[in-house]
Amino acid sequence: MAYRILIVDDHPSFRATARAVLSADGFDVVGEAEDGGSGIEAAARLRPDLVLLDVQLPDMDGFAVAAALCKGNGDCPAIVLTSSHDASDFGPIVGRCGAAAFVPKAELTGAALRAVLR
Amino acid sequence: MPRLVPAAVVGLGLLLSAGALLLVSASEHEENAAFVATASLVVAWSFILGGLVAWARRPDNGFGALLCAVGLASFLGTLAQANEPIPFTVGFVYGGLFLAVFVHALLAFPRGYLETRLVYAIVGVAYGAATIGTTLTSLFTPQPEGCPDCPEIAIAVTDSPVAADVVWGIVVALLLPALGALLYLFYVRWRAASVPLRRVLFPVYVTAGASLLLLAVTLVVESFAADAAQALWWVLTFTFASVPAAFIVGLLSGRLARAGVGKLLLEVGRAAHAPGELRDALARALGDPTLRLAYWLPDAETFVDIEGRPLELPEPNGEELVTIVEREGRPVAALIHHRSLEEDPLLVEAAATAAAFTLENERRHAALAKAQARNRALLDAVPDLMFRMDRDGTYLEVKGEPEDLAGPPEELVGSRAHEVLPPEVAGPLVEGIRRAIDTGEGVTGEYTLELNGVPRDFEARIVKAGDEAVLIVREFTERNRAQTEMKRLHQELQQRHRDLENERDFIRAVVDSTPSLLCLVTPGGYVVRFNNTLERLSGRRDDDRNAGSAFWDLFIAPEEREAVREELLEIVGEGGRGEYENTWITASGERRLVAWSTTPLRDHEGQPRLLVSGIDITERKQQEEELRRSRARLVETSDIERRRLERNLHDGAQQRLVSLSLVLRLAQAKVATDPEGADRLLAQAAEELAAALEELRELARGIHPAVLADRGLYAALEVLAARAPLPVDLELVDERLPEPVEAAAYYVVSEALANVVKYADASSVAVSIARMNGRAVVEIADDGVGGADPSLGSGLRGLVDRVEALDGRLQVESPPGAGTRIRAEIPCE
Repeated sequence: MAYRILIVDDHPSFRATARAVLSADGFDVVGEAEDGGSGIEAAARLRPDLVLLDVQLPDMDGFAVAAALCKGNGDCPAIVLTSSHDASDFGPIVGRCGAAAFVPKAELTGAALRAVLR
Repeated sequence: MPRLVPAAVVGLGLLLSAGALLLVSASEHEENAAFVATASLVVAWSFILGGLVAWARRPDNGFGALLCAVGLASFLGTLAQANEPIPFTVGFVYGGLFLAVFVHALLAFPRGYLETRLVYAIVGVAYGAATIGTTLTSLFTPQPEGCPDCPEIAIAVTDSPVAADVVWGIVVALLLPALGALLYLFYVRWRAASVPLRRVLFPVYVTAGASLLLLAVTLVVESFAADAAQALWWVLTFTFASVPAAFIVGLLSGRLARAGVGKLLLEVGRAAHAPGELRDALARALGDPTLRLAYWLPDAETFVDIEGRPLELPEPNGEELVTIVEREGRPVAALIHHRSLEEDPLLVEAAATAAAFTLENERRHAALAKAQARNRALLDAVPDLMFRMDRDGTYLEVKGEPEDLAGPPEELVGSRAHEVLPPEVAGPLVEGIRRAIDTGEGVTGEYTLELNGVPRDFEARIVKAGDEAVLIVREFTERNRAQTEMKRLHQELQQRHRDLENERDFIRAVVDSTPSLLCLVTPGGYVVRFNNTLERLSGRRDDDRNAGSAFWDLFIAPEEREAVREELLEIVGEGGRGEYENTWITASGERRLVAWSTTPLRDHEGQPRLLVSGIDITERKQQEEELRRSRARLVETSDIERRRLERNLHDGAQQRLVSLSLVLRLAQAKVATDPEGADRLLAQAAEELAAALEELRELARGIHPAVLADRGLYAALEVLAARAPLPVDLELVDERLPEPVEAAAYYVVSEALANVVKYADASSVAVSIARMNGRAVVEIADDGVGGADPSLGSGLRGLVDRVEALDGRLQVESPPGAGTRIRAEIPCE
């Protein structure tokens, strides 16, 4: 069964590209959100297996969204933070916010996400 | 003396005389009755009469009374002629009492009273011998020796010749030293007496001394040769009786002298006499060679001598006495004479009266002499030269310092002017003297005389004095010099005064035109005055109403007054120097920030003052504040710019490159399986790449246009104009400006054009860059809606900051509906 994925990013071109890449790799992209607030709402509604979460969002940053997603109940989705910046730009914040992994946008592949889910 | 007294004395004397004659004639034991009676009366009356004369002359002197007492007491002895025991005893025992009174009188002569202890002792011994001594002797002598017919002595208690001799021997032993002392006193008094006094004393002392010597001899002789003693008693009696006569002789010599005075004065009063002759005549007449005359000057109210010199009258207690001479009730003169003339006041009075007229004349002489002495003193005090000359030009008298004269004074006197002076001086001088003497009017002339090789200028005033002339000559060489010097000093003083006034005006102008606020205050902080600059700032006048106000009340904002007051008063005690920054307040309530300092100084009167000197720093503070804000804004603008860049990179080129990366990987995966899909993806990737490149270029252009750095402002603005969506009219100087200026100008134009595009709704815009006076002038004017407000909008604000950072200015004129004109001036050096 294909993994269900929610993409939260404010750039439409990235969302489209990511959907194409992940769909091609056999993932089921169940939804897209363009900011943190609608992302949290969509996650609660769609209950995805994984949320691909951009760090820089217009209303709140990805770390705060990640913390909110895990607080609601015990059964939170796997969260993969992504950004056009490198992981080293964010340091230890990534590990503390409840996200499972960080994948730079340019290196997004289905394999990278599967490694997280396994 | 009451008239009754001499009458009573004479009456008593006559009565006693009669009794004496009766007793003598009836006496049964007197062998030589006629002689005894005669002797008794001669002695008694010589003393009584002499006493009365003395009494009349000097009623207040006891001497006359004492002489009378001697005469009356002598009658006691005649009782010894009585035939009855008791009167006989009284006469026999106390018959010698008058001798004691006589001794008393002698010692009181001429003053009339006793003085020293020795005198009292002598008189006491005399009285004691004549009373107690004779009484005690008589106690042992019932029958007088050598007189078997005499009555018995009534008081005798026993007949003891030995006892009587012993007692009498003791009495004599006491009497003899007393007599010696008495003679010694006569000697001393004679030595001390003045000439006129000696003339009075001489006959008295001779007769009295002889009497007393005889008495001593008689007393001694009587103890061993009674007969010889009896003879001596007689001699003694007559010698004794001559004493008052001697006194009268002395008195008469005074009366004779008085007659001499009258005669003498009659003579000198008639004719003129030389000063001093009168004194000599009076001295001779009064018999007082020490006589001095003093003349009364009523104007000066003082006595002077004949030379006019002031003269102090002697004290009344001394050796000299003063008799004032009056004429017509006014004092004229005073006779200063020896005290002895007190014995003869009538003589002195007569002499004074007789001399009064002549004394009055002499008094005038003395007054004249005094006036002359004063005039002479005045003349001596005058510094001028003075000459007395006759009409021929002969010097009669010369007064002056030798160095001011044509020759020594003693040689000048007697010389003629023509002999000692050059003819051009002597001629007019003698002519002037004659004119003054002839006309009686003063003549004045000037002449120059060479003295000791130095020409000197003199001014002579010639006045007539009798048939002579007096010349008062004053040198005016020095006066001329002094006047010239005085004039020069006066001019110098005036010049200095003008200089001081100029200096004062200059300082005043400086004080009033200086940008400093100046205020002079007292150490207590009260305003004395302040300058125009402070007047303009404070809106208060430097007048009497504000002078005297407390400095802080007048100028300092209310909330800072107390602090300023405390600091100012404190600084006065610490030297007066201080620096402050306070809010001052003007009369209209406007607040100004002033940096001020205090300096201690003294004003023109030397009073300690504080000079408050301030600068209005309100604008400077505002500028500083603006600068600070401007800097903060520049930093802020820079931060915003970087954030925008980061965001643009992130949202633009970076996202496209991310997508490109993913698309390329996707295409790579599809190349084998889905060549068509891969081809579409590659086409999409090419578009993304082109878009990313375009965005990066745009971004780089926004950071700093490459053409500006490479080709300069002119080229950069041409690019801007070409890219603008509306016609831009460019008017530029094609020359390079300093890089920061070009950058600032570029951004001004760039931002302004952006604003025009965004807000102005303009149809065209004109951009010009010019250089004027070392400044780049950038102007952007559009024909849009206007109404731009530089205080709103960070764009314009940022431009202002950028321009001001280069010490430039940026102005925005944007009236609503009339377009916007932005003008920036940026210094190029």
